This record gives sequence, C-alpha cells and structure tokens, in this order.
Amino acid sequence: MAYLTTFYWGWLLASVLLGLAMGWISVVQHGEGVSKNMKRWLAVLAAALVAAALARAVPGRFGYWLDLGLTMFALYLVGCAIGSWLRDWVVSRSAPALRDLP
Amino acid sequence: MRGLFRWSGKWWPGVIPLVIFWAIAAWTSTEPLEADLVQRTTAALKDTVLDKRRIVVAGRDVTFAAEAFSEDGRLSAVASVEAVPGVRLVNDETRLVPEARPFVWSAERDVVRVTLGGSSPLPSSKAKLIEAARAGLGGVEVTDRMNLSRGAPPRFDNAALLLLDQIGKLKEGKITLSDNKVALSGMARELGGREAISAALKNLPEGYSVAANDIKAPPYIFQAYKDPVAVTLTLTGYVPDNNVHAALVAAAGRKFFSEKVVDNLKASLGAPSGFAAAVAPALGALSRLSTGTLVVTDREVKLSGDALYEAAAGQIRAGLGKEFPPNWQFKPEISVKPAAAPVDATVCQQLFTELLGKARIRFESGKADLVADSAGLLDRLIETALRCPNANIEVAGHTDTDGEEAANQALSEKRAQAVTDYLVRAGLPASRFTPVGYGSTQPIAGNDTDEGKAQNRRIDFVVRQ
Repeated sequence: MAYLTTFYWGWLLASVLLGLAMGWISVVQHGEGVSKNMKRWLAVLAAALVAAALARAVPGRFGYWLDLGLTMFALYLVGCAIGSWLRDWVVSRSAPALRDLP
Repeated sequence: MRGLFRWSGKWWPGVIPLVIFWAIAAWTSTEPLEADLVQRTTAALKDTVLDKRRIVVAGRDVTFAAEAFSEDGRLSAVASVEAVPGVRLVNDETRLVPEARPFVWSAERDVVRVTLGGSSPLPSSKAKLIEAARAGLGGVEVTDRMNLSRGAPPRFDNAALLLLDQIGKLKEGKITLSDNKVALSGMARELGGREAISAALKNLPEGYSVAANDIKAPPYIFQAYKDPVAVTLTLTGYVPDNNVHAALVAAAGRKFFSEKVVDNLKASLGAPSGFAAAVAPALGALSRLSTGTLVVTDREVKLSGDALYEAAAGQIRAGLGKEFPPNWQFKPEISVKPAAAPVDATVCQQLFTELLGKARIRFESGKADLVADSAGLLDRLIETALRCPNANIEVAGHTDTDGEEAANQALSEKRAQAVTDYLVRAGLPASRFTPVGYGSTQPIAGNDTDEGKAQNRRIDFVVRQ
C-alpha cells in the first residue's frame, strides 16, 4: 500500500480535500439529501464493490481501477466526515455566542 | 454521530468531481504503474536461474511464465514475484524445464564448424561450453543447437568440457555423451591423435565411461623411393620413434650400397605393431630392384618396380610376404627390367670389379651364411654375369689372417661355395662358376688394422676366358 500511495498520493489528497470541502458545505446546505432507502442501496453497492476488491475478483486493469476508485471514495468519505464535523463544531461555537448577545 | 448520518445524505454532489478525478487518475497512472511493476519484478528475479521467462503486467496483476530447473527454484521464483510491493495477483504460468531421458549431449565436427547439440543442464553450463568451444578451437565456427533440460548426470560440465577438448583433435567426427556413457567416432586430425584422445578419456570424471571409441587414425605411411637416375634412396613418412628411425636409416645404408640415402622421416605415434619388422625386409626387397617404390600404409606393404632378372622377381613376389609379421599384407607389383645388352668378358670383369669395389658380399661372422643385406649387391653381380653368358668365372674367397690358416682356408672355400650356390639358384649354369678358397694368402691390404682386415675378408669375381 505504501508503494501505491507514492504512486498517486496527489489524487488521494485531492479526494480528501474534495471530501473536506463537500463535508464543510453539506452542514449548512439546504435541500433534500439522499433518501434513507437510497442510502441503504448505495451502502449495499459499496459493500459489494469492497467485497469484490478484497476477494480480488476483478482481474487485470479493471481490478486496479476498482481498488483505486474505492480508495479514493473512502478517503472522500473520510474528508466529508471531517469537514462536516469541523463545520458543525464551528457553527455550534458561534451560535451560543450569538445567543449570549444582549 | 446522528448529525454525521444526516449530513451524509448531502455528500453526493462531490461524487461527481470525484469520479472525474478517478477517471483521470486511472488514465494517467496505469501505464507507469505497470512499467514500474515489470521493472521491479524483473529485478526481483535477477538472481533466479530461469529459462524462457515472460512477465506481463495488467494493472497490478502479474502473469509470470518461465521454465525452472527445479521445483524449489520454481516455487522460490513465484514467491519472489508475489513479494514484489504493489503486486496484487500472480498468474503462475511457470513450469519445470522438460526432463531428458536419456540425457544426451553431443559435439560434432566437420571441416569448417563444430556443432554443439543435445541437452545442457543450465544456461550457465551452456554458455561455458560455447565459450570453451570458441576458445579451444580458435577460428572454427561454433554452432549452438543445445537446448536446456533437466536430468543431467552429476559432474556433467567437467565431462563435457573434457570431451570438447577432444573435438579439437579430430579432423571430423562426433562425440556423444548419453547419460554417463561416451561414444566417439570419426577421424583423428593427426597421427597419434587417436592415442591422445584415448589417454585423455582416462581423466573422465568418476562414473563416466567410454561405451564406444571408433576414432580412426589417419593412415600411417612410410615411403621409400629408389631413383636410379639421381642414385638416391628417398625415405619419407613416419617411423615410431628415434631408435627405429636410426635403425632403418642404418639398414638402408647397408642395403643400398651405391645410393645416397635422403632421410625425410618423422617420428610419430600410431605405428601399426611390427612396423620395424616389416619395413626392414621390405627395404631389402626394394634394394634388389633397379628402380622402385615402397609404400607402407598401416599394415599394407606395396612394392612396385623392376627386378634385375626373372628369378629375382619371383623370389621377391613369393618370399617377401613370408617375412612379415602376422596380419600384414603384401602387394607386390614387380616387373622385370629388360635385359641389358651383352658385353664381352673383359667388360664383364670391369663391371664385377666396379661393383665389388663399392661393396663387399657379407656373411654372418665366422660362418658361410650370406647376410640378407647383400641381396642387392648379389643381384647386380648376377645381372652382370647374365650379360656375358660365355665367360667362366672364378668365385674367389679370401679371409684375413685372424685365426688358424687351415680354418681360414676352409671358411674361404665355404664362402665361395655359398656365393656360387646363390648364383646357381638364381638360374645361372653351375658349370660357369668355379668356387676357390684362398684363405689369407692374397691380402689386398695390411692385416694389422681392422680396416685392412675388413678389406681382406672378401669375395672376388675373376673372369677366366
């Protein structure tokens, strides 16, 4: 893995940053998100893809692309989670301050 | 945590640029990654001995095909590839090098090239053999038709290198190593080459043996040419060693009393057995010819030329073969020289004196037995006697003063009689010859020196009208 990250660490970093940005936005964004049902299906799809990757079921270049995609997606999710959490933390710190105003 | 779950519903728009990133990352990184993996895999196999190695990388999966020289080697090669960082899957298409039963290796030589064929156990042995062939056979083209196989006998390299050394001693031929049995055929380059190869084969590594050695030696040739015009005897070809060489040249000097001996002989191994015993009498027969050639090829003696008279031709044809050692062949091609013009008695006497001035008829010491070396001289005396058929000849025996006079007298009489008998056996009428013994009464030189005595021990031919 260490070897692979040296190869495309730029793209992994880009995925994390993209995630951070998306997570940052998502906290204050209005509008409908993905429905619960849809989330379940997407989770199942993601699990199936992870299972295929771990089982090394997809051969050759497609296998490599699957691994790459899943790694980038995982880092994107991590970025999203951190971004959302940070934004939430910033928002929750400033909100009580607003309430305390005379 | 609950918030995280709620927010995650709104993360999907970022997936669109993520997919674009993914596509670009896949597009740009795949080929460099594959090239890098090929390089790393090749480096990992650097010290592993394999044949027909093929490495194909698709994504992170390596298809590894090769022929290994042992099961352990094969497994360790696959393990090395699996251990390369970044490799996800190894498609193992390795197998073992085919086993050769029997394990046959050969080296074949013709006029211009040496062809190495059959099986070789490892690429390194193969390279070593080709290099040794190139180095040992300087200038000869070396063609490699060896393939790689398992199942070589132990110490194969040493045995093959030793055999390769022998190929240089062949003019043409083939050496085959089948498991640990060696078979050789062909023709040695030089006389003695066959013996040298046999000697070298004794150094084959333990366990190896010679199944067949059919190396032929080039013919062992000895030639003698008697030239009546130049009055020379030319000896060419081979003799077994310096002792035989000296003995033959000395014998030629005794038998060819008037010819100059031109010695171009070379000593060489590989003489057929009984060489000296056959060549000496053959030279004696040649000395009886007026002109002739003696060719000894291996165990075949060919004598061609002209005898001085009919009976001599008959004696040589019938007699010489009997003097040879067993298994020797004699092929006489003897004709008879046309009879020389008759001369009168005076000329006859001059010719006798001239001949006996060049050489003496020789006998066994103290006996009346003619020595074979004198056959040439006797033939010339007989030829001369045939030219003056009306002359009566006194065959006069003389001795030196050593010993008692009575014994000398008797010996001189017996020796004169022996010569007369020889002449009669050659077909001359007995009535023309009178054997007389003079003992030591008519010396022609002083009896006080060995040289003088030798001159006094003689047979003279005196023509009586």
